[in-house]
Amino acid sequence: MLVSKEDFAKYPFLIGAVEYVKNLDLKTDELSQPEFSAVVTRAETRIEEALIDGITKWESRRGYEIELLSYPVAVIFVSNIDDNYLKKRYSLAEAKRIQSLLKEEVDEKLIEIAISVFGWNVKNLPLEVYQPFDFSLSFIDYLRNAPSFHDYRWKLVNKRLINGEVFLQKDEFSRLISEEVRKYIEKTINTSPKVELNPLLLQRIEHIKQRLNLRKERIRIKDQPQNIISAAYPPCIKNLYDFLISGQHISHVGRFTLTSFLLNVGMKVDKLIELYTPISDFNQRLTRYQVEHIAGVRGSGTKYTPPSCETLKTHRLCPGPDDLCTRIKHPLAYYRRKIRMIRK
Amino acid sequence: MRIKRVKAMKNPQEFIVQKFTEYYRDNANIIPLPTSYKNREFGFILFDKGGMLRHKAFVEPRFFRDFIKSITPSDVYHSAAYYKQPSREMGKKGWIGADLIFDIDFDHLRTPCKVEHEYWTCERCDQVGVGKHPSVCSQCGGSKFKMVAWLCETCLETAKSEALKLIDFLINDFGFPPHDIEVCFSGHRGYHIHIEREEIRQLDQDARKEIVDYVLGTGLKVSLHGLMEVRRRTGHKVIGPDLNSPGWGGKIAKGVYDILVTYNIQQLNEINGISKNMASLIYSQRDKIFKTWNNGNSWGSIKGIGIKTWEKLVETSVDNQSVNIDTVVTIDIHRLIRMPLTLHGKTGLKVISIPSKSLERFDPLREAVAFSKGTLKVYVLAAHRFRIGEDIYGPYRREIVKLPMAAAIYLFCKRAALLTD
Ligand code: SF4
Ligand SMILES: [Zn+2]
Ligand SMILES: [Zn+2]
Repeated sequence: MLVSKEDFAKYPFLIGAVEYVKNLDLKTDELSQPEFSAVVTRAETRIEEALIDGITKWESRRGYEIELLSYPVAVIFVSNIDDNYLKKRYSLAEAKRIQSLLKEEVDEKLIEIAISVFGWNVKNLPLEVYQPFDFSLSFIDYLRNAPSFHDYRWKLVNKRLINGEVFLQKDEFSRLISEEVRKYIEKTINTSPKVELNPLLLQRIEHIKQRLNLRKERIRIKDQPQNIISAAYPPCIKNLYDFLISGQHISHVGRFTLTSFLLNVGMKVDKLIELYTPISDFNQRLTRYQVEHIAGVRGSGTKYTPPSCETLKTHRLCPGPDDLCTRIKHPLAYYRRKIRMIRK
Repeated sequence: MRIKRVKAMKNPQEFIVQKFTEYYRDNANIIPLPTSYKNREFGFILFDKGGMLRHKAFVEPRFFRDFIKSITPSDVYHSAAYYKQPSREMGKKGWIGADLIFDIDFDHLRTPCKVEHEYWTCERCDQVGVGKHPSVCSQCGGSKFKMVAWLCETCLETAKSEALKLIDFLINDFGFPPHDIEVCFSGHRGYHIHIEREEIRQLDQDARKEIVDYVLGTGLKVSLHGLMEVRRRTGHKVIGPDLNSPGWGGKIAKGVYDILVTYNIQQLNEINGISKNMASLIYSQRDKIFKTWNNGNSWGSIKGIGIKTWEKLVETSVDNQSVNIDTVVTIDIHRLIRMPLTLHGKTGLKVISIPSKSLERFDPLREAVAFSKGTLKVYVLAAHRFRIGEDIYGPYRREIVKLPMAAAIYLFCKRAALLTD
């Protein structure tokens, strides 16, 4: 069913779309030729849209072919720039575009994508009978993505779960697919082979890099209170922080670690909540509750400290220690020492 | 009969080891190895050493069996996880996946009898007592004590009914076929439930946490299950999930219904947030409420009983309907679990695997007996009334009694008796 050029352009990760591009057998060198300049330009805009708006646009005016081909080119660019923030931001922006497109599609198309691309176990529910639900998805597939949406309505305990199947409405199901798409694109970027780019394309990449740095600079200025020295964050915290600002899923322990770390180095509760809220599924009230709890404003009244390196290692939150790490046992100790080193 | 302790009575440790050795000599060959045993880690607790002998792996069942015969462990475990190289250290094993496991242990169940079945032993001498230990031992002046918990039938029954409740969740909500649900009596205080299915192996910790929360009812928002208030000119009406609806909706409704049917005013008043007046109002209006419950999803439109009150009843309902499992065990994807037909070092009983459909009739204190031959004269320091097999023994206090082997070993393992010559 999903075989038209339009479908391919909308959903360039479809097996058919990938095949189609592959059969064209394009070489990266050819991309600098004039007939592809529209494709390359569109690839560049895709990335810019991701950086600035956080969502790529569905652009059909210049034709489906350009739209389709610009996606793998954008992936090559992003992978070549090799910046964590950009990779995550771009995958998320594409996923958001897809989510909004999926909402407009007929149910069968959603099902086809879920089954053919991701191998999910999903059924379309007959109209009227299961009002207001449209789909039933195996709870195992549901749990691939739902736990990363930190909101009560996504908790399995608040879903209708019958005989292993979670009942879902269309907007929920498209949200789940788009999250899977996001992971899929990120994986594509991370596994895409390194290619030599000719000077013309490298020039384009330089241009994107400038935009990226500008954007990162702005976040830094906006989000960093002066007294907190982010240059002194240990690698684990830097990582989590990058995850957070690029709208990535962070595990429970990860969130606890980051939140308690930032609170301990002096970040204000309100500031932290602000940092959390732009992310799509964060529920403001829940976030406030959790942050205040860790800050000791609520409940037991004890202020929490982040876990030790040892604990972080067992939770795989330690990205691999650097030099200073080998001399400390706790991320806060890292921070204090590093500040002393910077000030010297 | 009060007897002075005589020299001839001795610590039964050696005897226990000898009995465990005999057990494994005679039974090692019938101990089934878990599926894909080559990819699992095995762990053993030894009698004389503290800590666990971990990271063992076996490429053939006979190696496992020879090993167990040669070391006579007090407890035997295998991982719920599958690894590429199970014998390497934790970070280097190469995790492939893990079965889904649940642990129900009466240690964390709230049973009214809990205070009665704890007792202490002095670390230095053989002094024992029921309840909280004293600050110094009256016999030797020592100040270190060990707390020991008896096997309690009431608690075991409670654990079993929790296990049955969990099985209901697993079959009806999660859709697992009954024959894929393995229930094990741990040989001591509870049950664990074990599901081996290809598709659940990959579930990560966050996903397992969601399953735990589902079973515990954690984070449940009743408004998301359809409880709401509709206001009309004629008054208000509360709508809630239907008694027959599947999943948590139906469980909530059933739980509230049970409360209305079985609680008296006093019990209603004990519910957090229900005042004395409210309790009497609910109690007096029960018949009227039941009448509206017959008409689909209406929970009634009784003046004075608003949605806030229903929410309080729902909270208690969720508490009653949820299953009390040990959260950590299910979320931990490297967990070790006890192996069927091995012995539990704290009781001398066997770990028994039970098909889920036979759990209802299962009697742990009879079917888990490992040492059914012979009798033994022992000096009991202190013991509650207890049952092993068909018969009930005790209470005993500093006396010599002749007991069937299983009962004697049970008391030895609990450090509640000494060997006579
Ligand atoms: S060693 Fe400690 S401080 Fe360094 S990255 Fe790992 S967890 Fe963070
Ligand atoms: Zn003593
Ligand atoms: Zn008890």
